[in-house]
Amino acid sequence: MTVTSNSTAPPSGAPAEAPRERRGLFSRGLEALLTQRVALLVVLIVLLLIVMSILDAAGLLSGSFNSDYLAAALISAVPLAMLGLAQLMVILSGRGGIDLSVGSMVSLTGVVFGYAYGLWGWSLIAALILAVVVGGVCGAVNGVLVAYIGFPPLIATLATYYAYRSLALVVSDQKPVNSPVIRDFYSAAKSVEIPLVGGSLPLVPLGIFTFLIPTIVVVWLLLNKTTFGRRLYALGTNNVAATWSGINVNPNRLAVYVASGVISGLVAVVTVAQFASARPDAGTSGNGMALPAITIAVLGGVAITGGIGRVAGIVLSTLLIVWINASILLTLPGNDGTRFQLLALGAVLIFASLLNGLTKRIYGGI
Amino acid sequence: MSVDQHGASVPAARATARRVLPPPVTGQELVLVGVIALLWILLGIFTPAFLTAGSIRPLLVSVAPIALIGVGMTFIIITAGIDVSVGGAIMLCAVVTAKSLVDLDLALPLAIGLSIGLGLLLGLLNGVLIAYGRVHAIIITFGTANVFQFLALRVFGSSTVNGIPGTFDVFGRGEAGRTFGIPHSFLITVVIVAVAWWYLRHTSGGRNLFAIGGNAQAARLAGIAVQPRILAAYALTGALVGLAACFFIAAGTSTLDQAVGSGRELAVIAAVVIGGTSILGGRGSVIGTLLGAILVQTVTSGVTQIGWPSQLANLFVGLFIIIAVGTDLLRQRARKAS
Repeated sequence: MTVTSNSTAPPSGAPAEAPRERRGLFSRGLEALLTQRVALLVVLIVLLLIVMSILDAAGLLSGSFNSDYLAAALISAVPLAMLGLAQLMVILSGRGGIDLSVGSMVSLTGVVFGYAYGLWGWSLIAALILAVVVGGVCGAVNGVLVAYIGFPPLIATLATYYAYRSLALVVSDQKPVNSPVIRDFYSAAKSVEIPLVGGSLPLVPLGIFTFLIPTIVVVWLLLNKTTFGRRLYALGTNNVAATWSGINVNPNRLAVYVASGVISGLVAVVTVAQFASARPDAGTSGNGMALPAITIAVLGGVAITGGIGRVAGIVLSTLLIVWINASILLTLPGNDGTRFQLLALGAVLIFASLLNGLTKRIYGGI
Repeated sequence: MSVDQHGASVPAARATARRVLPPPVTGQELVLVGVIALLWILLGIFTPAFLTAGSIRPLLVSVAPIALIGVGMTFIIITAGIDVSVGGAIMLCAVVTAKSLVDLDLALPLAIGLSIGLGLLLGLLNGVLIAYGRVHAIIITFGTANVFQFLALRVFGSSTVNGIPGTFDVFGRGEAGRTFGIPHSFLITVVIVAVAWWYLRHTSGGRNLFAIGGNAQAARLAGIAVQPRILAAYALTGALVGLAACFFIAAGTSTLDQAVGSGRELAVIAAVVIGGTSILGGRGSVIGTLLGAILVQTVTSGVTQIGWPSQLANLFVGLFIIIAVGTDLLRQRARKAS
């Protein structure tokens, strides 16, 4: 914590910084925590781990809270973080950008993937490509409605949320798609040893390496190392200014919704592996997948008005949410635990958005 | 020619009012009436059972709570907000009221008062967070939706509430719930829609809501108390959710299960948007919302009556949203271009 505040403190002795120097360490630390979302998330994760370790040592938990448990909990981080990254790109693009339809796209592409891989005997690669293409097409429908016809994203994706969810249920006749091939596909969700350094570390779910890390790297490169990324931040910050500075805003806005669909297609494959069957309600049962994804984005410091947000924030806020959920299950076993996860998700979302608003008012930015 | 002469004879004040106010019934509402009529005729042809009292009455009973909450949602969306927590709020109001009916055997007015009071409280919570916390409405209400659901599941305890007494029969599907063959819940909804229509169109409070949705900053500079108005819109929605929860309890049998309210927020928002209220704020009407709710529920019950899979209804609802909003957007673009 002190390291964080020191590293972001202004250099001492600079005359221009003189008024700030008079403030105490606490005040500067607070500003660092509030304006550097990544720092706040690291502090919260460390706090959570400390509290849970103390509870574990005191014997108040129903299971042991150790690195194996934390690593195993990462299995649910794979879809959440990927969809969080999808929301990051969509919300970044501004003009009310949001994608409520991700859960339905996961359901629909999951069913299509299930049919192709499990029943039609396609190879894994071909079925994976099909899922990505179907996801991309679904996302393109959102993108065309938003970018070219001018739908508010909330309404466009609400409508397609309905439509895709309905299609997934009707196409599959409400039955999960099952076959021996798909049941064997469960092996894609197993935990593996990290190569080279493996022996002493806990087993980590395979999906982290095959899906999550590649997605993180690609999205990070897209946002930070390409002109597309810079254009995205520009049109999210000020659509009119972006237009007048020669950015062709519509194709760029379309692209983020397609990206969201493509990521949903990949998440569909991950969830089919996790459930060992292609469930037509995989992304929409309960609260669906859109709400946790949006929560992760907001907690990760993405400004809902667009133009502000980082990949690191998404990754860390996913870790926090996943480990909070895992901790709740250890603290309150059974039905109570899953209910308290609802409360935690809601409370964290309200807390994070109030915090974002407060930070914006005090310091003028996240 | 004669129309012109008539127009000239109208007193100046009324002429001004006519210029400032939108027409009492918008074009989109007339189109909706046409679409609903067409659907009813088509359904009547394909399934003869559709145009009978036995089929229309349950339809009206199912329209009532959606349109009722839709009135509040219209107010909120006119101020450029949104409330996705109504599903959770319905669940919480319904389960608390149902439990008190079972355990305490409350009288009808007390039970309605309890449900509305609780709903009002939940709406106030949303309103305070949104109006004074100055955070985006969809994010906050997503959060409170989870909190409400959590509380409701805690109250539920087991999976259902059983043995609910017939206190709410007056709102129900049975003979006790009808006057001249029309369900009471639908009549109440129509009355509330009429009052809300008058309030939005003919009082300064109503016009202020449009001003806030059109441009909150300009509204504030014009002396409108923006924050209290926004708070009131969410509180009103909460209270209407409370009343609608009574309708939901009455529409079922003597049991209430955990599915109550789930996904209703989307049906309500769909009804409002199909009714021609602009999601960007500043434009909308509650009559459109009532028609939108009738359309959504007609599609839902029509799909099952034809014998198609019931999940197909959501596809049509989605398409209707796209068509309704899309034509509006294209019309605006054409107007701007000309």
